[in-house]
This record gives sequence, C-alpha cells and structure tokens, in this order.
Amino acid sequence: MKAERQWNTLERDTAQRMEAAARFIGPGKQVKVEDVVPLLEAVVRPGDKVNVEGNNQKQADFLAEALCKVDPAKIHDLHMVQSSVPLAAHLDVFEKGIAKKLDFAFGGPQSGRVAKFIREGKLELGAIHTYLELFGRYCLDLTPRVSLICAYEADREGNLYTGFNTEDTPVIVEATKFRKGIVIAQVNKIVDKLPRVDIPADWIDAVVQSPKPFFIEPLFTRDPGLVTERHILLAMMCLKGIYGEYGVKRINHGIGFLTSAIELLLPTYGEELGLKGKTCTQMVLNPHPTMIPAIESGWVEAIYCFGGELGMEDYVRARSDVFFTGPDGSLRSNRALAQTAGHYALDMFIGSTLQIDQYGNSSTATANRVAGFGGAPNMGCDAKGRRHSTDSWLKCGREVPSMNELIGDMPRGKRLVVQGMETFGEGRAPAFVDRLDAWKLAENAKLDLPPVMIYGDDVTHLVTEEGIAYLNRCANLDTRMAAIRAVAGYTEIGLRAKPEETKRLRDDGIVKTPEDLGIDPDTATRDRLAARNMRDLVDWSGGLYNPPARFRNW
Amino acid sequence: MALNTLEFDCKAEAASVRLAAPVHYGVVGSGDLEVILEPCDLGGGVKVKVTTPISGFDAVWRKVVETFVNRARLADVAIDINDNNASPAVVSMRLQQALAETAA
Amino acid sequence: MPNWSKLQTRSFLESSARERALGLVDEGTFTELAGPFDRMSSPHLVALGEAVEFDDGVVTGVGRIGKRPVFVISQEGRFIGGAVGEVGGAKMVTTIDLAVAFAEELRAANPKIAADELPLVAISFETGGVRLHESNAGLLAHAEVMDAFQRARGKVPVVALIGSRIGCFGGMGFVAAATDVIVMSEFGRLGLTGPEVIEEEMGKDEFDASNRALVYRTTGGRHKYIMGDCNFLVDDRVAAFRAQVAELCRLPVADFEQFRRIGSAALVEKQMRLVALAAEMQPKDAYDVWRRAGNNDPAGLGDAPVDDFRKQAQRLSV
Repeated sequence: MKAERQWNTLERDTAQRMEAAARFIGPGKQVKVEDVVPLLEAVVRPGDKVNVEGNNQKQADFLAEALCKVDPAKIHDLHMVQSSVPLAAHLDVFEKGIAKKLDFAFGGPQSGRVAKFIREGKLELGAIHTYLELFGRYCLDLTPRVSLICAYEADREGNLYTGFNTEDTPVIVEATKFRKGIVIAQVNKIVDKLPRVDIPADWIDAVVQSPKPFFIEPLFTRDPGLVTERHILLAMMCLKGIYGEYGVKRINHGIGFLTSAIELLLPTYGEELGLKGKTCTQMVLNPHPTMIPAIESGWVEAIYCFGGELGMEDYVRARSDVFFTGPDGSLRSNRALAQTAGHYALDMFIGSTLQIDQYGNSSTATANRVAGFGGAPNMGCDAKGRRHSTDSWLKCGREVPSMNELIGDMPRGKRLVVQGMETFGEGRAPAFVDRLDAWKLAENAKLDLPPVMIYGDDVTHLVTEEGIAYLNRCANLDTRMAAIRAVAGYTEIGLRAKPEETKRLRDDGIVKTPEDLGIDPDTATRDRLAARNMRDLVDWSGGLYNPPARFRNW
Repeated sequence: MALNTLEFDCKAEAASVRLAAPVHYGVVGSGDLEVILEPCDLGGGVKVKVTTPISGFDAVWRKVVETFVNRARLADVAIDINDNNASPAVVSMRLQQALAETAA
Repeated sequence: MPNWSKLQTRSFLESSARERALGLVDEGTFTELAGPFDRMSSPHLVALGEAVEFDDGVVTGVGRIGKRPVFVISQEGRFIGGAVGEVGGAKMVTTIDLAVAFAEELRAANPKIAADELPLVAISFETGGVRLHESNAGLLAHAEVMDAFQRARGKVPVVALIGSRIGCFGGMGFVAAATDVIVMSEFGRLGLTGPEVIEEEMGKDEFDASNRALVYRTTGGRHKYIMGDCNFLVDDRVAAFRAQVAELCRLPVADFEQFRRIGSAALVEKQMRLVALAAEMQPKDAYDVWRRAGNNDPAGLGDAPVDDFRKQAQRLSV
C-alpha cells in the first residue's frame, strides 16, 4: 500500500510560522517597529532562502538592519537571494553568522567585503547573476521563503504603493507569495488611501512603518558640468559613426559620462547631423536627468524605466506621453519588464567598461572587488531568441562576415553592442589589458569563472578617442584583435598595432578614426552640450526637475 | 622626490611646418598639462622638455610626442611641458589644441 | 589666444583664469605680465616633487575697459585648487602696486584727469586660500595683498569677482572681504572655513559638506547677495561680469566706499549689529535669515531663475 503523501507541507509550514508571528501583527497587518526583530525570529527558520529587497537604487534598509539583529543561535545558515548587497547590513548578516550563502546580481559599495568574506570562508557564493537571470531563478530553484521588501506607502488593509520606484518589488513578491512564502514590507507611511495599488494586500503578510524613509540612491544622475571634451569627442563619434550610420531607434544607455554626453548632444550635434526622428526614438532607460533636453526637443517617443531617479518625479508626471505612468500620474518602473525589453527588444546597448582585453572581452571587476553584473550583460549581448527585425538590427547582422559559417545563407540580424571608453582611465590605468583583472578576482574569490561583463563575441563596436573599431565587420579573431589594437592608443596593446595593418583596416571600413568620420577633435567642446550644468537641466525642464541636494550648486 | 625632467630631441620625417609665434596652452590640473610651443632654430629638429611628478613613462612620452611631431610635420620647435599625470590621450589632445591655437 | 567675442558668451564658471582675464577687458587690450613665457614657477613645489605651472596659477596683466586701465589678477582653481603660494602671491601684490603707482603717475601728469581714465584693479578669485606646500610664504602673501589693498584705498578701486568652481575660501576669503566691491554669480561661493573643514571639525550633523544645496545656500552667491556680503549678483557669463565691471569703471574712486563691508567705524558697528542679530535669531539654516530679511518663500526664491531672484530678493538690513 502506498504511503499517504502530504501535498501541502509548504502551506502548513507557513501557517505554523504565521501563527508564531500572530501576536506581533495587528489590524491592517501592521507591526510595531519594536516588534520587527521578534517577528523575523518567528517567521524565519535556519537555512531559509531569504530575500532583502534592494537594487542599485531603492533599499529595504530598515528590514535589512532588523535582520542583523536576530539571534544567530535561533536563526542561522540563511541563504540570501537578492538583487544586490550595497548596504553594510547586507554583509553584516554574514559576519554575525546569521547568513551563510549568497546569490546576487550587483555588489555596489560592499563588493570589497564580498570578496574578503568569500576568502575568509564567511560567505559561500552561489553565483553572480544578471538581474533577469536571478529573477528567473526566483521562479525555479532560488524561490525566497521570506522576502523583506519596501514600498512608499501602505493603506489600512496592507495594500502597497511602490510608485515611482516599483523596480524589483513585483517579481520578488510574485515569486515568494505564490509559493507560499512570507512577505514583509517596510513602508515610509501608512495612509487611508493610496495613490494607486501596486501590490495587493493579500500578497503581503506584514507591514511596518519604518522610522526613516527608505534609502534611495540617485545613481543615474550625471552632472553635465563634469562632462569632459574627451567624452564629447567620443560621443560625437558614436552619434555619427554608429547612431547615424545604423539609424538605431531602440536603445539603452548604460550609466556613465559618455552616454550622458551623447544625451546632451542630441539636441545640438544630433540635430546638425539630421538624426532627429531617426535614432533614440524608443528607449529602455531610467529617467536620466541628462535626457531632459532631448525629450524637450522632441527626440524621444517612449521611455520604459527599470527604476525611478530621485528628483525626476514631477518631470515624469508631466511627460506622460513619453513615460509609463499610472492612473495616479506617477511613474511605474519595473526592472524585470525593463530587462526583458532590454534583452529582446533593443537594437543597441551602449556603455563603458573599466577593462577590455585583447580579444574584446570586457569587465568592471578589479582583483579584490566582487562588483557583480546588474543588468548590463542582458542588454550587452545578442538575444539569440529574438525573432522580429528592424533595419539597424538587420544591417548590423548583414555586416558580420562569419554569419554564414554557422547558418549558411540564412539571413539574421545582430544587436549592436557598443563599448566606449578612453584608452586610459582614472589614474592613468590602461583600459586595454592583456589579461582582465577578472582572472585575478576569480582566483582571489574562488569563482568558477572570471566575471566578464560583456563577452568579446557580443561586442560589435568599440569606441575610443583613437576611433571606432567595427568589430562586427571582422571576419575572424585575428582581424578583431588587429581592429582592437588599432583603437587602443598608447596602451601596451595599442603600441603593438602595425601602421600598415591599421591602414588596411581603415581602407576596409573596419576602423574609422575621427578624421575618417569627418570629425575635427578640436571642435569637441563643451559649448556643444545642450545643458552645461545642473541648473541648465532644471531650466530645460521648466522647473519640473528637482535635483537632489548633493547636485545643487546654486 | 624631486620633479622629473625628461629631455629629448626628435625630427619629423617630412619636417616643414614652422611656427610664426610662440604659443602657450593648457592648465596643470590633475590629470592634465600645459605646453609651450616656441619657434627655435634647431636645424629642422624638435627639442622636447617634460617636467612631471611621475616617473617611468619615458618611452610613452617619447612615442606620444614623436607621433604628434610627425603628424604635424613640425620643424624648429621647442616643446616645453608641465605635466600633472596626464594620460597619453590627454597629452596628444593638448598638443594638438596648442598647435590649433597658433593657427587661430 | 582664444577668440574674444566667443569668450563673452562663455560660462564664467567654466572659464580658465586666462580666459577670464582676457574676456574681462576690451578686445585686444590685454597684456599679460609675468606670464607663462617668463616661466616663474614655484621653487617650493619643485623641491617637493609636485607639479608646477609656468605662471604659478595666477594670471596677471593689464588691459582697458573704455578709457580706464584695468589691472587684472585671475586665479586658476584647476592648479592645486588655486592655492596661493609665494610666486603667485608676489604677482598679486606687484600688480596692485603697479596700479597704484600708475594712478599716481597719471594724476601727477594731469591733476584734472577724469575718474574713468584712472586705473582699477579686478581680481577674479578662485582659491581655497594658502598653499600648504609653502605655508609661511603663502600666509605672508595673504598679508601682503591685504597691505597692498590699504595702499590702494582711496586711490585705486579694487573689485572682487567670484564665480569660479573652487569659490573663494580660507585666508583669501578675508582678502576678498577687504576689497571695495564684490561681484558674484549664483555659482560663486565665498567663505572662510571651507565646507569640508567645517564637517571635519564639527561633525556631519553640524554641516554636511556633501550636501551641495546646503553648502551653496550657506556660502553661495544668492545667500551672499541677501546678506550684503556681495554687492552685485550677475549671470554666469564672462560678458555679465565684464558688464558689471564696466559699469563700476564709470565711478570715481570715492564712490567705492559705499560698497565696502569693512574699514570704518560705522561699518564695524553694522557688523556688530549683524552679530547681535545672529545671537538673537540663532538661525538653523540660511533660509531662516532669508525669511527674516522679508523673503516669505526662501526655498522658492532659492530655486527661481537668477533673473527672477534679483528682482524679488529682499536683502537683509541691520
């Protein structure tokens, strides 16, 4: 006779935990600040997979700190599964023996400690993911048993308003709650009526009004005052030699001053080149303040956001033709959906990197910091599952001479993946290296793989002050390496370039110098920027942009 | 820990461009430099002096300046640079800008 | 040489010391004195292995605005934060003395010479004060500049221009306060102890130096305008600074007394009334003082375009 199997053990376990927690949870699922630690001790069990919400922008910081205060004798060996670990508290749980294992996507300011803890055996690393990859695993083998999330407001029933900074919340809650997990939210305020409901109350188990509003980092704000002439030269080359050349419409801009410079040149140099309406019409992008002049000049039709950006609330609300906003008028950002759009629907990703090797592999890892990936690799790659076509995608694919070696005469496009950087970075560190520091990190932190942000075969264009290398036009690795050398300037790799080889590449249109592109570097001046300081951005926005205190210089 | 001075001579392959007047360009900011280009009878050659707190990049300095001199086909010019850890890319750009200034 | 007309439209904040000097006076009139070709660098920096600049970070020279000879001193913030050392300090002092000597010479030659034909000194400050690498010489330079101001008083007006990145702090904050008239832009900052030093000494709760909005509403041009620490608040354009100096150029030297903050018994009394007001008010924020001056919406005023600010701002009177 077959033994009777229990088919709802998860449900029963959750019920038990919630029963133990019942005395801390009042009407409207509300929990008092002083009861949060005992609540966590009641609902979390040793060995649980636990998610603390936070990414490169918003943080469930109060709950992260509360988790550090639980008794390690009661709660230990937790397996943290979370987007990022930028707060000290995220690593303190490992120091205190509350948590043991970590699966994450982005390190942030704590990435030095992550590497150190791995070396010291305080932290067992599962894997470093991209956001989308980690979200995927929430639905497979890394489903959180308990998730600690954050929202702006809750109402008296426990419905949540995540508003402008919705970001990762929906995917975390969905994966947790629908597998009988427990979701606890910290909110800035409890109100009678929410502007809109982003997460329904019956997906939430407990709500606490945190003593301080949750921390949020204005990570995508770049002061135009810090854009240099070199950024502008690179940006001009990108606009003429790539944006214009391919007519790329659907784009993500990585974080950094090169892309800020591009954004600030759209209404000036971009307009001169006649590119308005032909490029940058749809973007997957946080509400970058440096996009304001281009938006105001009518360049952009639509922007979908991963997250919010501090100070852009009113501007976004007033530009609902461009941004995705709720019935209440505020932005709805969603990292999982934005990353999906970024992976499948973009024609181009452009960003900067710290290091690139002689084959074109690039990484932001340094020898002693586990920085993680965030979302860049999902966009900085060719989405093999893509089946729809656009002109720029087709053109980029047509230019790949080796395409037919794998799929015969079948036509196929390719995403443009552009890496732009100066040949030497901060403190004269060469951007081009024989061997990425990622190898050393892999050794130091006992990783299976050197963390590569973008693999060489995905990079289609490399831009430095020396010129653009059209890597997608290279027939084989030897040619790619020669093209990389040709734009590597005075780095050791660049010094190996042979003048006759570089000339041949230029003749073949595989390498284009500023001169080949018809750009005089002396004209790469700050006068070209549509906004030269934060104040200009405020003025462009008609006073709607409200920069965070640290960016105000008036 | 004194300042390093690097001095060398070079000669452009097709040296033919002479300066009408001396020019000064740039500011010695962090990661930046200033340069003086002065006409100077050197039998068609170019004399270079670099003053910098950084040592160990002599070969790169030579390469960067020689490339500039060759491209601009400069003759009979003294180049005097005060550097504060400028990258080779910045050096090339400033030299080019200084030269453009003479034409302006 | 940069194109003069183009310089006029440039941001003063973004302009180098030499561009500011050149753009301030009439086109083609600027003659640089002890310029880069003279190669007067700091011997102290050489000994310490620190980068040097041919002009030691200070541009000095003379030009004209209309008929008036204008002696210009312009500090370069990108070179060691505009910190003042021995050579740069000596260049400042000598320029002021040259202006005074020239004024006396002109008056001796023509006692009836028109006011707008006599020299004026304009100093574009961009400095954190003394250059620590040559501290004694640098400190001495501060005192010598102050002395030179005393020699110039009543003979040659001295105008301070503050609108560059570093602002004007440290000992040079005192020096600027001792000039006859101060012209700022909203991006200019003027103070004694720099924000970072205050935070270091008093703690982040007292003053958070990373909070730029706080730093600017405590030391920035708008606040200084309301406080009366600066006389004129102009747009961030080389042309705007130039226009203000040109307007001042029309005034005889005696008229500059009205702009001063220090230097008479009456002004000392006024400063004392200000101290008493501070003691009485115990302001927690610059905006408290703005409100006291009669500005009902300080935050709105702080954020308004600078033109509206000039029209609406009520200035503190004590």
